[in-house]
Amino acid sequence: MENGESKGASGAGDARDPSGFLSEIIGAPVTVKLNSGATFKGTIYSVQRSHKILPIKSCDLQSVDGYMNIALESCKEIHNGKVLRDWGDCFVRGNNVTYICADEAED
Amino acid sequence: MSTSHLLPLELIDKCVGYRIWVLMKGDKEFTGTLLGFDDYVNMVLVDVTEHDYSKGRTRLPKILLNGNNICMLVPGGEGPESDSMEVDA
Repeated sequence: MENGESKGASGAGDARDPSGFLSEIIGAPVTVKLNSGATFKGTIYSVQRSHKILPIKSCDLQSVDGYMNIALESCKEIHNGKVLRDWGDCFVRGNNVTYICADEAED
Repeated sequence: MSTSHLLPLELIDKCVGYRIWVLMKGDKEFTGTLLGFDDYVNMVLVDVTEHDYSKGRTRLPKILLNGNNICMLVPGGEGPESDSMEVDA
């Protein structure tokens, strides 16, 4: 299971495809909505690619394997615009994720 | 234009850069500009509106949408509020 080499040759990926988007948002504030309807706001610590978690500093790109497993820091669960709970660091298993939204600026 | 040999993913590829309407399995729909997608039909969308039947609309600047719950894609679709799509509940 070497690098998939599916989307272009560039290791950095294209920010326009899902793989490139995931590298682009590492370290950025995001809103994550789960299939249950729960919303989490936090900062992406890492995303999972090819069965291993890569920390922020070494996000060399490999092909995304369809997982959206993500590690969030200063993660807050939001309900109707209010903070329901402050989770701090947390891991979200990718199968529960509906979308990951790159926030334009922190509130 | 011959469409006889257009594969499904080729149809989506033709939509890159254009507005697209995404209908999810549940009570959720998205409209936005398609930037890219992968083999799982995970999609990157910009200028997105999330339409939820119960919660109304939410604006989202840029999202990665999980392909797992996608039901249908409508190229050029303007979403559930478009004039041509009057549907009684």
